[in-house]
Amino acid sequence: MENHKIVGKGVVRSDYLAKVTGEAQFTADIKLPGMLVGKVLRSPHAHARILNIDGSRALRVPGVKAVINGFDGFGIKWGVFRYTQDHAMVPTDKVRYVGEDVAAVAAVDEETALEALDLIHVEYEPLPAVFDPVAAMAPGAPQIHDGYPGNINVHVHIDVGDVEAAFREAYIVRKDTFKAAGEAYAMMEPYAVVAHYSNGFLDLWMPNAGPHVRAKALANLLKMPLNKVRVRHIYSGGAFGGRSEVSPGDFVTALLSIKSGRPVKLVLSREENAISTRQTHDMIAAIKTGVKRDGTVLAKEFEVIYDGGAYSSTGPIAASIPYYVYEEAYRFPNVKYDGYRVYTNKGIRGMYGCHGRAFLAGNEVQLDMIAQDLGIDPVDIRMKNGLTVGEKTATKSWITSGNLAEPIGKAAEKAGWREKRGKLPRNKGIGMGCVAMMTGFPMGFRSGSSCSVKLNDDGHVTVITGIVDNGQGNESMAVQIASEVLGVPLGDINLINADTEITNLDPGAYSQAATYVGGNAVKRACDDARRQILSIASEKLQEPVESLDLRDRMVVSLQDTGKKMPISWIAREAFFRAKPITGVGSYIPKIDFDREWVSKPFGQMAGTYSFGASVAEVEVDGETGKVTMPRFVTAHDCGKAINPMAVEGQMEGSVQQAGVATLTEENLWNEGFLLNPDLLEYKVPLACDMPEIETVIVESHDPEGPFGAKEGGLTVRMNAHSAVACAVSDAVGVPFSELPLTPDRVLTMLEREKEGGTK
Amino acid sequence: MKKMTVNFMVNGESVSVEVKPYETLLETLREQLHLTGAKEACGTGACGSCTVILNSIPVRSCLVLTPEVDGMEVTTIEGLKVDGKLHPLQETFMEKGAIQCGFCTSGMILTAKALLDRQKKPSKEQIIRTVSSNTCRCTGYKKIIEAVTAASRKTERE
Repeated sequence: MENHKIVGKGVVRSDYLAKVTGEAQFTADIKLPGMLVGKVLRSPHAHARILNIDGSRALRVPGVKAVINGFDGFGIKWGVFRYTQDHAMVPTDKVRYVGEDVAAVAAVDEETALEALDLIHVEYEPLPAVFDPVAAMAPGAPQIHDGYPGNINVHVHIDVGDVEAAFREAYIVRKDTFKAAGEAYAMMEPYAVVAHYSNGFLDLWMPNAGPHVRAKALANLLKMPLNKVRVRHIYSGGAFGGRSEVSPGDFVTALLSIKSGRPVKLVLSREENAISTRQTHDMIAAIKTGVKRDGTVLAKEFEVIYDGGAYSSTGPIAASIPYYVYEEAYRFPNVKYDGYRVYTNKGIRGMYGCHGRAFLAGNEVQLDMIAQDLGIDPVDIRMKNGLTVGEKTATKSWITSGNLAEPIGKAAEKAGWREKRGKLPRNKGIGMGCVAMMTGFPMGFRSGSSCSVKLNDDGHVTVITGIVDNGQGNESMAVQIASEVLGVPLGDINLINADTEITNLDPGAYSQAATYVGGNAVKRACDDARRQILSIASEKLQEPVESLDLRDRMVVSLQDTGKKMPISWIAREAFFRAKPITGVGSYIPKIDFDREWVSKPFGQMAGTYSFGASVAEVEVDGETGKVTMPRFVTAHDCGKAINPMAVEGQMEGSVQQAGVATLTEENLWNEGFLLNPDLLEYKVPLACDMPEIETVIVESHDPEGPFGAKEGGLTVRMNAHSAVACAVSDAVGVPFSELPLTPDRVLTMLEREKEGGTK
Repeated sequence: MKKMTVNFMVNGESVSVEVKPYETLLETLREQLHLTGAKEACGTGACGSCTVILNSIPVRSCLVLTPEVDGMEVTTIEGLKVDGKLHPLQETFMEKGAIQCGFCTSGMILTAKALLDRQKKPSKEQIIRTVSSNTCRCTGYKKIIEAVTAASRKTERE
């Protein structure tokens, strides 16, 4: 099935025209008749009891239509899991971070809303706060939630084999500790919500990575049935993992609209976006590794502490993912992992596309140090320990396609690794990072996706799917798959998606599921419609179904090129038969659904795995500690590139967001205050900061994925930081200990090297 | 507060608006003239998502007050098509895949347009330096640089 008409081609994406003309509508662009402006009053305290909230003066300001606080809700707390339901969205007991939503106003214009905010009186009793996860775990630390001793939100414990025996048997055992600051998602679009409550229905627009997951959370919080909470399609200005879950702003705006009876728009400022929407986790990773004389990894032992901020969020998932993407890449028969996600009085945290850099880069640089002691090249030790199809991960998940060695080999070759590693002049370095990504992981019955497709009487096609696009090209991917199967041009296909009223469940742009799961459902629905078309055509053309194909809007005979018929004729014939062409298709990945992040971390984790390897080249200024990165090569096994241009785009963006970020990006804190919440202080890499990027697409043709596809580039987001950290460590001659590698930290490394190193 | 009347040209049409003295051009374009292609991403002039062309100069419309543009000519992304035909930059941004979420795209294209308007065939270094005034979080910039380069070749041929 390699003879594709349009799959595998770098076509112009279906969303592009709207985006180059300015017609693409984002949430802040929405205008509805009678729409009010929403504004939120935020906590000035990191930790304080709420004694009283008085909004009566605010309500008397002319033009103010609603004032809400947490008491307007139903006292329900949201959590992704039953055991993590700790987030009321707007609290009534106490505030737990600076910037937390406390009350809100809807008014006829911004000035009025701001004036009213000033008149809301909140009485607080400040409480002792804790900002560091290690301090939060210590005896006597302020307790942020009831029922979580030591502020431990989640403890993930994995124990496979016999780690102690393996360490005794090992030729080398090495233990290191690595730290990394959290980064900002810094999506270009600040968070915004429009809510319109009317006639018992709540319509919502917001940038989101999973409309169904969002609707479910809000239906619970607002005690409404799911079919009356309608999350609508809207263009989204980036997500990167930060817009997967319900946000306090959703709840606030919904309450304001319900109370005022009018549509309400809340648009956060850049600063509010940074302090009151989700942030990423700071972390500390202690890593112990034992290897045989030949470099075979025998055992791994980890203790990882995640700064979880004020609430659970995706707690157990966040406390597991860095480990899993490592386990999915490398073979180790004995492992003990303890991941602690710890509450602190800092902002809410979520998953990030680059989540886990201390852990992943730490593992990779430690492997380099071990390789050096054994006299093995870092590429060879990675090849030797990399997993391949047919093997199982440590927690018993089959690898069903691909292997780590191929992307390693391709990236190394393209980068000229053998000519460079160990041969570069002083202060120049080259490093490699590897991971494998789970594609479609357990989200219960929400792990699957459904699609329906109808053939209109002019032969044009309408595809209806829950797939959501945050900029990565998921919509175009669905259109391209439909075009391939149904033999109509891309422009003949109208996609209706990411609307919870019309579409069935879909996992969202989460767990790398869009292509593998959502795309699979689209393909199956189109296959179904295709069968119906061909069945009628077979009758009409007197040809067996097997010798017919759909192309260029026609049914054509493969035997007799003269025999053909427009697809639109078939559509009309089907209407005469009272059986309009309507295809349906669903897909749920083959996962062990008994698997649970905390209680049973064993069994099939994902439908498949993508493998990737990245190579960074750096130069360190020995005087200033500043690092420059002239070149970056990355290879990613996406199974099959539906649109290679889109896959390259994802890979290149990852070099920026994970790779260059490893040199520059971190959220800076003074206790509970974020010091760099805007784009002047938080430096998102610019064009002039970028290396020359070369991407290599590896295609291992997954047996389950649509046309063999897996996911479009997340390995780069999870291994680019490792490549850069290993390259800088190579250039300086000692392993890094803390990320990002800002000049001050690199100077510390240079000092350590001068003092004889700590290798 | 007393409003001010401001007259200026937007995408070739003359407009007259009543604005607060402190109203930004970005707010006027988006709220009064329904031109929402210019986006507010930072509000502090850091990112360039709100870039429009004022006379021939790319400016951050979040930092320009509307009363300042009286008598001037503003070009927004909505004004780039000529006779229904896309500008070469719009075409090459699509062809080269220089877009992901699209939130920065309008500003990026207008920044690049101002460069190509004053310099037919910029060097790669000039292109990199110019687009470095705008922030994109998704693309890694490689395809943006390729798109601007391709557009400069297209405009050169025309």
